[in-house]
This record gives sequence, structure tokens and C-alpha cells, in this order.
Amino acid sequence: MEPIRIDPARALDEALRAQQKLAASVRTLREVEDVDYGATSKEAIYSEDKVVVYRYKGKNKPTAKAPILICYALVNRPYMVDLQDDRSLVKNLLALGEDVYLIDWGYPDGADRWVTLDDYINGYLRRCVDAVAKHAGVKKINLLGICQGGAFSLCFAATHQDKLQNLITMVTPVDFHTPDNMLSHWTRGMDVDLFVDTLGNVPADLMNWCYLTLKPVRLNQQKYIAMLDILDNKAELENFLRMEKWIFDSPDQAGEAFREFIRDFYQGNKLIKGGLQIGGRDVSLKNITIPVLNIFAEQDHLVPPSASRPLGEHVGTKDYTQLAFKGGHIGIYVSGRAQREVPPAIHGWLAERTR
Amino acid sequence: MAKSPDTSRAFNDWQAMSQRYWDAWNDATRKAFDGAAAPAAGAASASWQQGLEQWSRLFGQQPAQNEVVERLLNGAKSYFALMQSFAAKSVGEAGKLDTQAWTDTLRESFNFPGADAALFDNPLARALREIAGQGAKGFEQMMESVAPFTQELRGMLGMPAFGYLREHQEHYQKLAQAMLDYQEQTNRYNALIARASHRGFELFEDKLAERGEPGRQVESVRALYDLWVDAAEEAYAEIALSPEFREVYGALVNAQMRVRQHVQQEVERVAIDLGMPTRTEIDSIGKRLHETRRELKRQAEAAPDLAAEVAALRAEVEKLKQASGASKKAPAKRASKSNKG
Repeated sequence: MEPIRIDPARALDEALRAQQKLAASVRTLREVEDVDYGATSKEAIYSEDKVVVYRYKGKNKPTAKAPILICYALVNRPYMVDLQDDRSLVKNLLALGEDVYLIDWGYPDGADRWVTLDDYINGYLRRCVDAVAKHAGVKKINLLGICQGGAFSLCFAATHQDKLQNLITMVTPVDFHTPDNMLSHWTRGMDVDLFVDTLGNVPADLMNWCYLTLKPVRLNQQKYIAMLDILDNKAELENFLRMEKWIFDSPDQAGEAFREFIRDFYQGNKLIKGGLQIGGRDVSLKNITIPVLNIFAEQDHLVPPSASRPLGEHVGTKDYTQLAFKGGHIGIYVSGRAQREVPPAIHGWLAERTR
Repeated sequence: MAKSPDTSRAFNDWQAMSQRYWDAWNDATRKAFDGAAAPAAGAASASWQQGLEQWSRLFGQQPAQNEVVERLLNGAKSYFALMQSFAAKSVGEAGKLDTQAWTDTLRESFNFPGADAALFDNPLARALREIAGQGAKGFEQMMESVAPFTQELRGMLGMPAFGYLREHQEHYQKLAQAMLDYQEQTNRYNALIARASHRGFELFEDKLAERGEPGRQVESVRALYDLWVDAAEEAYAEIALSPEFREVYGALVNAQMRVRQHVQQEVERVAIDLGMPTRTEIDSIGKRLHETRRELKRQAEAAPDLAAEVAALRAEVEKLKQASGASKKAPAKRASKSNKG
């Protein structure tokens, strides 16, 4: 039997439908204004240079005993955790009684060319943690690190554990040398010193280009062909455009921090191999003895599950929990399943440890 | 939102053109059912491309959506060409093509009118080239702008440098060498991408072969396209995760950085001649400033500890003073006692 049985009439029908969608898009794409993001109101409670810490305001007062500080990656904007009303990790955590704060790292420019990992982790992050603890009137807080922010949070917990009650990592790379890690594979032949000495800060467009080339046809062609299906639906189109805006709203990367992150994490894999030093401090995951919840996505193409899963073998804590989410690197915040599963999992895990 | 007269006219033109095209295609399809010849794919797909281009121009004055429209346009061109090509084949051959013939049709559909001939039979390379962004374009533009000099530079490569312009000549020679190296690394990279494209078609054939069973057949152009995407990505991942790709990718990035660095040095030389600050100088100032700020922060954070230490020392001194005062008084008492005695 032939593998393809495309009925000409059906093929014509498909083509006509696509044409109708294109025609409809002339109206819908014009109706859609510049999409906005952020579902939850917030107030700035601390700022330093380009870094701002926000506290989100829920409908009710938080019932949790310790606040959560979300530490996002440097490579994208943090509003992914509060993208829109029906896709918001923050909103769902607030509804469960959590007190949620977030670090916005801002957009580095030439003035930040020499900012190091020491500045980010032992400087900005430490002072953000102190600011949140002070604002909430507690001695210790819960830290929730996402992606690269998760790696930062691990380093922070390994060196400043006295400031933390619990640590949560989401889609966080730990073992950078697993065979399916394409990004890591590519960076290992790079002369990162030459790269940063030449570019200074690393342009966001270059970072985006690199991410798109991880799956060039799927991310650069198939996705937009699928967009044909929603061209006549304003609400879905707005969701699509909002996501597009987030994907390409990327900050440049501070040169020195980028150099160190590539050299020590991607190339050296020092987080698990050992020998990692940040600001003269030894960073050993064995020093982390507070409870750890590690959440990763099973279909993550940026941080493969194999890169996150080994965390349990390397941290010193006896209270380690792991949660595999059925979805991808972005779906873990914005999919319908994520809204149902992730916030309750975090809330439940924290509740058991802060009674 | 009200349409401007220009936009309305463009919209009407586009609709009329689409309508003419669809009518013609519809007729051709009907005729094919009646035993007549299928429409000529080349001429029809040229209309496709024109239609899409015209459609995209309808958003010319709406910057917020322009980038998305451009991306949609790039993707849609390939897909519509594929749709056209498959529909025409399925009409002409009444669905009696074997796997190889379908694969050939797919391969041909990527070589649509207006496409870069250098990318024929290499849809992966096209997908990579279509990735927009100044980070990627910037370097291509830079290479284009210095391309006229490349030929001249090649000639200088083997010449011995001497005289008071020796350093300049050596610099140009290094730049030329870096450009040639970059070109060589680009060729190696492109060869791997072409290999991935080729492998993609092989995997596509495999995947098609698996669809021969009843219930698993591909019944729409979209499903066929999605199957090809799966194959293309699988093939790309195979190549991209290979040790060879890692080496070539690293060499390409490093070669590009060397060219950039040489060009920057040249720009700096000109800036110095014009009495303008260079990036190296600004970086140097930035580094010093950053170090000073770190030191200030460190001192400011240490200040509370210092203040506490000073307060503790003061308290200790006070205690010592009190103790010393008491001990001074005590001997006096003893003296008076001894006087008494």
C-alpha cells in the first residue's frame, strides 16, 4: 500500500482553507495591537543598578510563612512566569497563599560589560535575598531558580545557605556534558575568551540565532506554518504574538559573566566535576543540606532532562524531591497542564516543610 | 482599524489575484479529474510567491506585526510551494507515486521560483538562512562591506612587509588570512548542513515506508510536511551532535571572531587618527570604574561590621577605664590604711 494517499480534492480544500486564513489575517493582524504581558500587579521593593526586585500582589494576603524569591535566567525576560491571566505561575502561587517576589535582572549595556558571576551571585542575588527577607520580616526565604537562574541559585545555596529555608530549581542544568545537550556540545569547541574579548557584551540577537538553530525547521518554519491555522482567531493570535514577543525580547549578556558561565559550566562542567570557584569561594553542591525540589521538563530541548536529573546525586541534602513535568522548556510555565500541576506541586512541597 | 486608500487598493489587488489563481487552479484540478493534464507547477507556484509577497505588503505600515509577517511569509513560501507541488502530483498521477517519487517531489518543491539557487535541494540551509536577527545579519553585512577589499588583500598575503608601513601591511595580511580562514570554515559548515539535508530526505523515505500500513497513510499535505519536518530535524540533530560538527562549529565561530577582531583593530586605528576614543579605551575605563564600584560596595557593606567593632572597642575601653579608675582608688585606700598602721 502506498504511504501517501492525498486526495486531490482534499489537497485543494487544504489550500483554499489556508488562503481563507490569509485573507482573514488582513483583518485580525490589523486588529491586534502591540501585545502586553503581565497579569498580576506588583511593586518594586528593591533596586540596584539595573536589577529590580518586585513583590507580586495577590487578591488575598499570603498565608505562607516564608516568601518565595524567583531567580530567573539572564538570557530571557522574567515575565514568562506571569505572561497572561490564564498562563501565570505567579498568579497560581499567589492564589495558593504563597508570597511571591521576583528578580528582574534588566537589560545589561556597556556599563555592565565587566559584571562577573561573583557580582551576580555573591552581589546582586545576595542583596536581593536580604532585601526580600527584610521586606517579609523573616530570617530565611525560599529561593526558586529557573534555568540559568537555577544554576545561580544552586551556587548561592552552596555558599549562603544560612539565608535560605528551601531551594526549588526548575529546568535547571546541572550536568552540562550529557550527550543530548546540543548547546553544550556546540560551545565546547568555542574559544570563549576570543569570543568575549571580541564582542564585549554578547548581543541578544546572536543568542536568539543560536537558540533557533537548535531546531531550525521546527522553530523557524513549521511554527509559522502552524500559525496559518490561527490567523482568523484574534485571541489565539494574541497569545501567539505574546509568546513571540517574549522569545525575541532578550537582553544582551554581560561579557565577563558570559565568559565565566561558558567556561566553568558549559565547558568545564564544574558544578558536578568540582573545582568551581565564584568570587574566591568554593562552590560545592555537597554544601546544600536544605530541602531541595528539582522540577524539570521531559521534552526540554534547551535543558534536556538528563542535564537536570543528576542534581539529587550531587547535593548534600537528605531531603531531595524530583518532579518530571510532561512538557517542554516553555510549556512548564505556560501550558494548561503546567497551570494545573506545577504551582500546586511547589505549594504542597513547601507546605510540608514550613509547618 | 480603518484601512488607508493605498492599503485598501493593495488588499483588493491581492484578493483579485488570489481569486484568479484559485479559479485557474480549481479548473485545472477539475480538468485533471476528467483526464486532462495537471497544471504546470512552475508557472503556478510563481503566482504563489507573488501572491504571498503582495499579502505581506498589506502590513507594510504596521511595524508591530512586520517581523511576524516576515517570518510567516518565509515559512509559508516553502509550505505553499510544497502544497502546490503535491497537489499537482496527486492530481496528475492519481496518487500512484512510490516513496522515491514522493521524496523527489518534496525535494523539488523546495526549489521554488525566486528561491536562492545556492540553496536548492538544501532546505535546512534555507531554514538556517531565514532566521532573522541583526546578530546573524550583522556579520554577513560586515563581510559584504569588506568583500571588495578581499581580492586585493589576497594579493598582499605573500608579499614581504617592510618600511615604515610594515605594521599596517602585516595587519592587512592577517586580516586577509582571517577572512580566507572564515570562508574555509563556512564551507565546511555548509557541507555539514548539506549532508544533514540529504540525510533528512533519507529519513523521510524511511518514515514514509513506515506509513505503508493501512490506517497510517499520510492523507494531507500538512501531515506530509510535518513528517518531513520530523525527518529533517532528526537528521540535523544527528549531524549537530556529532564530534565533527562540534569541531567545525567551534572553528567557524572562532574564525568569525578573528575577522571581527581584525576589523575592530582597523576601526580603532582610524579612530585614533581622527582623535576619537576607541573601544579598548572605553573598556579600560569601564573596567576601572567597575572595580572601583565593587570596592566601594565592599567597604559600604563592611561598614556596619566596622561600626559594631568600634562600638565594642569603645565599650571595652570604657570598662578598662572604669577598672583602671577603681584600681587607682584602691591603692590610695591601702596607702591610707598603711599610713594608719
